[in-house]
Amino acid sequence: MAIKYTIQGLLIYATMAAYLLAFVVTLLRKPKAGHAIYLLGFAVAVVSYGYRWVHVRHVPLQNLFEVFLCLGMIYPVSVFCRRVLRVGGYAADMFIGAFVLFPAGFKFSAEPQHLPPALQSWLFVPHVAAYTLSYIFMFKATVQAFCQLLGKNPKPGENLLPPEQATYSIVCVGFPLLTLGLILGSYWGQLAWGDYWGWDPKELWSLASWLVFVGYFHFRYMFGKRHPRANSLWVIVGMVTIIITLLWVNLSRLFSGLHSYAT
Amino acid sequence: MWAALALIILLTVFSIYGAFIGAARAEQFFNRAPLAIYWVAFAILLVVAINVFPRLVRVPGLLLMHAACILILAGGMWGSRAGHALQEKFLGIEKIRTGRITIYEGHAENSVILQDEDLKYLFSIEPEFASDLHNRTVSEELRQEFEKHQKPLSQPVKVWVKPEGNGWVIADTSSAYIARKEDGALNIYDPTKELPFALRLKDFRIEYYEPAYLEIEISAGQTQRVSADVGLEHDLGGELGKVKIVGEYRNFKMSLDDGKRVAYDDPSPGFNPALEVEITSPDGNVSTQYIFPHMPEFGHAQGKLKITYKGPIPRMVRDYISKLEVVKDGQVVAEKDIEVNHPLYFGGYHFYQSDYDHVAHQYTDLSVYSDTGLRLVFIGYWALCIGVLWHFWLRHVSVARISSLVTWRGRPGLVSRRHRAGGREQGQDALATSKIRNRK
Repeated sequence: MAIKYTIQGLLIYATMAAYLLAFVVTLLRKPKAGHAIYLLGFAVAVVSYGYRWVHVRHVPLQNLFEVFLCLGMIYPVSVFCRRVLRVGGYAADMFIGAFVLFPAGFKFSAEPQHLPPALQSWLFVPHVAAYTLSYIFMFKATVQAFCQLLGKNPKPGENLLPPEQATYSIVCVGFPLLTLGLILGSYWGQLAWGDYWGWDPKELWSLASWLVFVGYFHFRYMFGKRHPRANSLWVIVGMVTIIITLLWVNLSRLFSGLHSYAT
Repeated sequence: MWAALALIILLTVFSIYGAFIGAARAEQFFNRAPLAIYWVAFAILLVVAINVFPRLVRVPGLLLMHAACILILAGGMWGSRAGHALQEKFLGIEKIRTGRITIYEGHAENSVILQDEDLKYLFSIEPEFASDLHNRTVSEELRQEFEKHQKPLSQPVKVWVKPEGNGWVIADTSSAYIARKEDGALNIYDPTKELPFALRLKDFRIEYYEPAYLEIEISAGQTQRVSADVGLEHDLGGELGKVKIVGEYRNFKMSLDDGKRVAYDDPSPGFNPALEVEITSPDGNVSTQYIFPHMPEFGHAQGKLKITYKGPIPRMVRDYISKLEVVKDGQVVAEKDIEVNHPLYFGGYHFYQSDYDHVAHQYTDLSVYSDTGLRLVFIGYWALCIGVLWHFWLRHVSVARISSLVTWRGRPGLVSRRHRAGGREQGQDALATSKIRNRK
């Protein structure tokens, strides 16, 4: 845990502050002001990401610091979910934005690194970007799943989907990205390491998380909305496997694997 | 459906278990007989599902996704160890599944070192011979055993324990064998198989992000700067002769071998970088000098060249490059510079750089993979991508667009009608309906 006394660090902290302020203001029933501050926070997050891009001179998706910096630009996902999917949760998104920037701001090293040979591939950006975006959607789906479990329904005038359906809608958007990430990763493995499947712990965790969502779709097809709590639990379990895929395998010294450079 | 759900949950559990035991053991686990039964059952269930559930045929996205899974499973099984063994037995297709090939610069090689599981069984000998191997010797009786099986050993023969510890390597000047104690017998295996073509390594080199130099004092106060890349030779001119960078060490150590000091790279943790240079004086005298970037004064002994390393330590590698030629029947039939992410594909095999000579950059280790089943897997990948994107995204976008073109305000659209009738795809329908609403 260390404070970053750099321009990059300041930009991250400014984004976090804006997100948290937006969160508080929204909770205080001033959604318009909250939205404006959220938008401002997003602008700072974009500047922060752009600054990193210029600084390291490659698409900043190489390590956990950069991936989390990217995850911090969550605003367009909020807008997409609200406008297209009719799923709310702006306040939760503001909090998620601040939450995912926390490790980038205080935990992960921001030391710029050269791209090791294995990462110099056209697949680098689509593979990581697909995963990053899918994780944001799945995170939002999980928030809706928790809303369902806690019985928090949107207010009648808001024109929003009930949480169970909202969860499903978001998973439907995130799942193709999760699939793309997995397949692009497998194809990249074939190009870089010789085998499209190496049974590496990170590969197996990512397969497990994909399978949990496959299981969710089959379960929901079988029972529809008859077991809404079970539906929500599937998504929460999926998110747990995603978090393990993303963090544990990288950070834990329990496993060594082909992805260990991405710490 | 219950069976499908059960198999999906089972595979999730297997994957998590596999993640805990590490890649090597996970690969063994997923290739074992019980798992082979699981894979076959999974594939059969998918085929049955497509036949039993009309919806899986009627909805193109669902059909693509499920057919894709069948293709990926079939490709995976066809290219597995068991798949290769079955093809050899029933179709007579003899192909190396995977292995390693070591090639020195200027040499051609076609002998692939196989993985433990793929070794070719030759014959068995009495288990008592294990004591021979334990003492790292080959007795006359053992030699006769090899002769009896038409595998005579020439002199000298060396015996050592395999690095993995599960057997011995018996090597004479031309061939090597693996001996393993199994079920009370001592089995002899051939650890190599030959490719129908050879690979020649023309050059192996490493490219770095930042250059590194050697500053050589050529006269009092005057220095010459040359590249510090291994393998390069520089002419210093005049009385100094030539300097060649012959090796680099990450963790430099010296050992005494027959009273002679020998430098080696210690693989154990520790960081003592050094460069080895060979200096050829104009009269042909060759001497060796070590340069230590962390201790610049250390190598500046009397009578030696004053050489200082200038550059980052350790150096960040940008790329590893092996210049290769494929040789068949004495003819060069293909050429390729292998880089990371750019393997060589020839004759049904992919070749990747997996390791190299860390000191002198004289050889490269390539891993060899058979392409059996790969096409099926990749067709499956395409089908899965298209199926998923179509089913979850594109059909809704297109349905929404068509609906917005042909529908009209106030009347229920195409999607809304299905919404009321089906009820099972409500989330997706909601996605499409909300899109229509926005368009309005």
